[in-house]
Amino acid sequence: MPFLAAGSTLHVMSVQPTLYGDRKVYPVGAFNRGVAEWLSRIPPVWVEGELTELRRNDRWGSVFFTLKDPEDGSTVPASMPRRAFDALGLELADGERVHVQGRPELYAAKGEFGLRALTLERFGLGEHLAALERLKKTLAAEGLFAAERKRALPRFPRRVGLVTGHDAAAKGDVLTTITTRFPPARILVAETLVQGPRAALSIVAALEAVTAEPDVDVVILTRGGGSFEDLLPFSDERVVRAVAACRVPVVSAVGHEQDTPLCDLAADVRASTPTAAGRLVVPDLGELLEGLRRARAALALGARRAFERQRERLARSHTGLERGARRLLERDAQRLSVTRDRLRRGPALLLERRRGALDAAAGRLRALSPRATLERGYAIARAHGDVLRSVADVATGDRVEVELAAGAFGARVEEVTR
Amino acid sequence: MTDELSFEQAQKELEGIVERLERGEVGLDEAIALWERGEELYRLCSGQLDAAHGRIEELAKRAGQVPPGS
Repeated sequence: MPFLAAGSTLHVMSVQPTLYGDRKVYPVGAFNRGVAEWLSRIPPVWVEGELTELRRNDRWGSVFFTLKDPEDGSTVPASMPRRAFDALGLELADGERVHVQGRPELYAAKGEFGLRALTLERFGLGEHLAALERLKKTLAAEGLFAAERKRALPRFPRRVGLVTGHDAAAKGDVLTTITTRFPPARILVAETLVQGPRAALSIVAALEAVTAEPDVDVVILTRGGGSFEDLLPFSDERVVRAVAACRVPVVSAVGHEQDTPLCDLAADVRASTPTAAGRLVVPDLGELLEGLRRARAALALGARRAFERQRERLARSHTGLERGARRLLERDAQRLSVTRDRLRRGPALLLERRRGALDAAAGRLRALSPRATLERGYAIARAHGDVLRSVADVATGDRVEVELAAGAFGARVEEVTR
Repeated sequence: MTDELSFEQAQKELEGIVERLERGEVGLDEAIALWERGEELYRLCSGQLDAAHGRIEELAKRAGQVPPGS
C-alpha cells in the first residue's frame, strides 16, 4: 500500500477554523494539510537505516520501502521517484544499510507520515571502513589511544569484572584460565549482547554495571572471533569512549589477533585471545606461593647473614682490642725491663768507674812517688839519717844506708871524689 | 596499619625488605626489625591467599539486571 502517492502535492491554503464559542475547530483535511505544509518547510536531511520491504513496479512512479533503525527498531515509510531510483543502478537487498537524503512528508489524504527520498546511497563495507577510519582519527586526536593513558593492571586483583556474551566460548576460556591459574580469584560476570545493532549500548551498560560493583579493580571485555559486522559494536564510539573512561583498567580481547576493533586501542591492555586476557589479569598462584616462600627464605637468610656479619665484626673488634692491649702491655714490660737492667747495672758501673778513677789517681800518685824513681834504677843514699845530695856530706869510712826499689843495704864510703 | 595493606602492597614491601637485607647494608637492630616486619608481611600475604575463596558471580542474575533493549 503506497504511503505517499506519486507526485502528490500539498496545496498550501489558509484554513479557517469553525468557531464554537471560543473553541477553534479544524476539519481533518485542513489539519492534515496544515501540518503537511509545516513539515514541508523542513530542509532535506540525511537519514541512515536498514532498507526493508522494498517494492518497485514499472507501472508506479515511485518505489516504496521502509527504513529501519537497527538500534531501536524504529521505522519510517519512505518513497523515491522510480526514475531517480533506477538511475542509481543499485542492486539493493533487504537489510542493507543505506543513507537516504530526503525530507519529511505527510500524505494529507491519509494523514500518513513518511520520508520522501531525493537520493540514496548504500552504506556498505567500504563506507563502514572509511567511517571507522574517520572515527579512529578523531578519537586518536583526542588522545584516547595515547600510551600515557594506559594504566597498569593490579598484580593481585580483588575482583575481576568480565563483560562478555551469554554462554560465549570466550567467557568459558576466560573463566577456565583464571580459575586454573588462580583459584582464589573472584570474578563478576556481566553478560551483554556482543553483536547486532543493540550490542553497543548493551556493552556500555554492562561495563558501567560491573565497574559500579564493589572491589572490581580490573575488567576484561571479551568476545570471540566474528565477521567484520559482528565486531562493529566494539568499534562503536560509545563503547570506545566507555572503555577509555572506565574507572578501572580494561583488558580488551575482542575477535582474533588480526582484528583491531577500536575498543582494543582504547583499552589499557590488549590481549590476543580470551585465554591471554585471563593470564594477564591474575597471577599464577603456584608462582606466587613459590615467590613468597623464596622471599621468606631470603628474609631469614638475610637476617642471619646480617647477624653473622655483625658477630664477625664484633669478633674482629675484640681481636683487635686484645692485640692492641697486648702490644701496649708488651711495650711497657719491655721498657720496664730495660729500666730494670739499667738499674741493676747501675752500682757495678759506678764501682768500676770509681775504681778506674782510683787506679788513675794511684797511677798518678805512684808516678810522683820516689819509689817509682827507684824502680827505674835510682837509689836513695842516706847518712846520719839525712838523704845525701852532695859528696860534701860524707867522708871516707862513713856508713851509708842505701835504699833501692826493693830492699836496702848498708855500705862504707871508700873514697870521696871531688 | 598492616590490616589496611593490600596483598600487592604487602608483597612489594616484603620484596623491598628482602632486597635490603640481601644488600647487607643494615645494622643488626635494623636487620632484626626488618626480619620481623618481613615475617609479618609474609604471614599477611599467605593469610590473604588462604582466606581468599574463589567465587564466580553473574551480575545480571544477581542484580536482576537486563541489558537495555533486550
